[in-house]
Parts: sequence; C-alpha cells; structure tokens
Amino acid sequence: MNREGDRVLSNKNNSNFMIRRLHSLIAVIPVGIFVCVHMLLNSSVFISGNESYLALINFMKTAPFVVILEVVVIAIPIIFHGLYGIYIVYLAKNNALKYTYYRNWAFYLQRITALIVLVFLIWHVWVLRLSTHEPQLVINTLAGLLHNPVTFALYIIGVVASMYHFANGLFTFCITWGICVGDRSQKVFATVAGAFFVLISLFAIAILVKISIMPLA
Amino acid sequence: MVNPQFIHLKVKRRSNPTAAPYWEEFKVPYQPNMNVVSVLMEIRKNPINAKGEKVDPVVWECNCLEEVCGACTMLINGVPRQSCSALTDKLLEQYGENNVITLEPLTKFPVIRDLMIDRQLMFDNLKKVKAWVPVDGSWAIGRGPRLADKVHQWAYPISRCMTCGCCMEACPNVNSKSKFIGPAAVAQVRLFNAHPIGAMHKDMRLEQLVKKGGIQECGNAQNCKRVCPKNINLTAHLAAMNRQTNGYGFRQFLMGDK
Repeated sequence: MNREGDRVLSNKNNSNFMIRRLHSLIAVIPVGIFVCVHMLLNSSVFISGNESYLALINFMKTAPFVVILEVVVIAIPIIFHGLYGIYIVYLAKNNALKYTYYRNWAFYLQRITALIVLVFLIWHVWVLRLSTHEPQLVINTLAGLLHNPVTFALYIIGVVASMYHFANGLFTFCITWGICVGDRSQKVFATVAGAFFVLISLFAIAILVKISIMPLA
Repeated sequence: MVNPQFIHLKVKRRSNPTAAPYWEEFKVPYQPNMNVVSVLMEIRKNPINAKGEKVDPVVWECNCLEEVCGACTMLINGVPRQSCSALTDKLLEQYGENNVITLEPLTKFPVIRDLMIDRQLMFDNLKKVKAWVPVDGSWAIGRGPRLADKVHQWAYPISRCMTCGCCMEACPNVNSKSKFIGPAAVAQVRLFNAHPIGAMHKDMRLEQLVKKGGIQECGNAQNCKRVCPKNINLTAHLAAMNRQTNGYGFRQFLMGDK
C-alpha cells in the first residue's frame, strides 16, 4: 500500500526546519566566503609563480589560532553541510528527464555536483592538507598532480563542479532566505549567478592551467 | 485538420489499491470536440477494450468539467493536468494523429482504482495550516477591512488553487522518502496571512509550515510553477513564505518560551 497518506503535517515537535536553514546559511557564511578567499590566494601564482604563493602561505601559517580557525570556520561547516547534504540528495526523486525545465535540471545538477564535490574535497584535503603539510611539499605535490593529464582532468571536473554548486547554491540561497521573491528578481539573479559561475570557473581553470605549465621544482 | 477514425487510448489500470497496475488499450470512435472525460464516458457506455474484450469500465473522477475543481487530474501523456480541459483534438494536433493518448493516475497519491486517486492528504494539510479566515463567533463582528488593490492583484490568483495536486506530482522533493507537503498549502498560507483578519492567526499558520515536512523541504526545482494549471506563481509564493517562516523561526528562537 502506498505510504503517501502520512504526508500530513504532524503534531509532533520534531521539525528539521532550523537544521535545513543552518545548512543553507553556513554554505555561504563561512564556506562560500572561504572559497572566494581560497581562490584569491591561489591566484597569487599569477604574480611570480611558486614564490609569491609560498610567501603568502608562509604568512598565513604565522597567523594566530590558525588551526582552530581551520577547524571551526572551515572543517566543521563543510563536514556538516556535506553530511546533511548527502541526506538531502537521498531525499530527492529526480525527474529531470520527465520535466525537462531549466530549473529542474539545475536542481538535479546541484545534487550531482554535490556528490562530485564531496569526493573531490576528501581527495583534495587528504592529499594537500592532511598527508602533506609543509608548504613547499604541498605545492610540489599539487604541481605533480596537475602535470599528469588524468589528475589534471579530475581537478578540472572537481573545481568546475564546486563552482557550479556554489553559484547555483547562491541563487537558491536567495530564494531560501526570501531575498529574491518576484519573477524579475529571480530572473536577474539567475543571470547574475550564471555569469558568476562562468567567471569564477574560468578564473579557477586559469589558476590550474598556470600551475600545470610552470616548471616542476 | 485532424480526422482519425479512432481515438487510441492506453490506460494504466489497477483494480484495487493493492493490486498490481496493468496497461489496457481502448479504441474509441472519433468525434470532433471531445475531451478526455468524454472519451472515458464513451468507454463507460461501451466498455470494450482494443482487443474486443468486454472489461470493467475505467474508473475516474470528475466533477465541474471546467477546470476549477481538480477532481479529474491525471497524467495525460505523462503531463499532470485536468482531463476535462484536455481536448482530444488539441492532443492529436500536439502529439500527432497516430499518437496513443496515455492516461495514468497521479503517482504521488494513493490510487483507489484505475485513474481515481485519494487527495485527502492535501485537504488535511489545508486544515493544518488553517487555510481560511476565521470570522465565526458568538456575535456579528461587522464587515472586515478591505484588501488594498495592490495586494489583491497578487493574492487573488492564489485563491484559484483547486488543490488538484499537479504541483506535488511534478515536485522531485515530494516522494515516498520525504514528508514534504508540497507547494499548494504553502501558497495558501501566503493568501490568508495577507488578509487583514486572517493575519491575526499568522503565527499559527507559520508554526505549521515549519513542522516536519514543511516549507524547508522545498529544493527550488520550480517544476510546480511550470505545471500549475491555474498559473499560480508558486515559486514566488514559496520565496515569500520562506521569508515569513524564517522571520517566525528566529522570533520564536530568540523570544519564544518553548
């Protein structure tokens, strides 16, 4: 028998409303802000290659409480968003082939990229933060990965998926927080988010390409 | 100009709520200006399937026959819509004269028999969110305040909702894994919270919308707006209710005593 009959608001006080809203909020503050800063720091490779990047990383390492900040501002929010996100991905029964509207595809892609980003981040953090740590070693490892065509391609996929998830997430964030309500604002912001996706993806790809063509140390 | 001999139907049938579904085909002699309801009525008059066997007539619901009650909602060629306003000539024009028109019951509701489904959960949710303006009391309280015309412009279309279930059918977040009640009841809360007397019970409605299965389950796929037969701007109403429920949630969290 169909279980749809229990789709009625219950009298019990076991709502996930606050968790869902927290899940949405922390994706932008602090995770989204962190991603922007991360990209900005990476782009220092355009100034004078490895040296300027290393100088920046070494400076960051001298900041007080840096490990605590990494855990509280970056790790915990991302882990929470990722774990609860898996549950959200599981909850959807995607129907993009049946209802082929643009937003429905965006919804489906948001869930596909969620899983790609999750795998990518585990790899990325393990290889470049947890297993290696010393700045020179980290950049050598990264340069090695980006000189290999296979891992270079995996990096491009992981980074572009992240940027899609971020840009489309910003758009839905504006709806979830009641910022874009009307048709016009949703249309304008959808265009802005689309442009943001293209620009930030190109920026990220440029950084990866730049590192991939720099001579290995 | 379409002029086929038959209207070829393929119906997903089920003899009782627990029986396995099966497909059955029918060939109904073509007449101009039919709709899916009148084709089903022809089957009821002469319940012979395409193989020439006498079968039980197809069960379906219909009532108003002018797309305002929602009772005859079904999947017609995979699209959730009302069978009264599904004109066969238009369907043949759109899908081609030789197209077999497929009819299926909505998939997000319990099926009672054939194309007849049970939408009770939608009405239960309308009761939960108190989708009305309470005016009954012990004495006459006189005429209430009027809505400003500007509010009326966006609020009136919400009142055209006929609780047909198309929005829930198309929503990827309404499924057997989730508890999401779907967009229809959420939009009604916006309507009744905008009413000057209805607003007196604003928080009671918002309290319902933040319960398990409430507005937080919306994933912004926005199919609801695309399939709504009444062109209700459900995505805008969901966004507006996001704003109201967020405000309510924070007020409750910071000032509430629960």
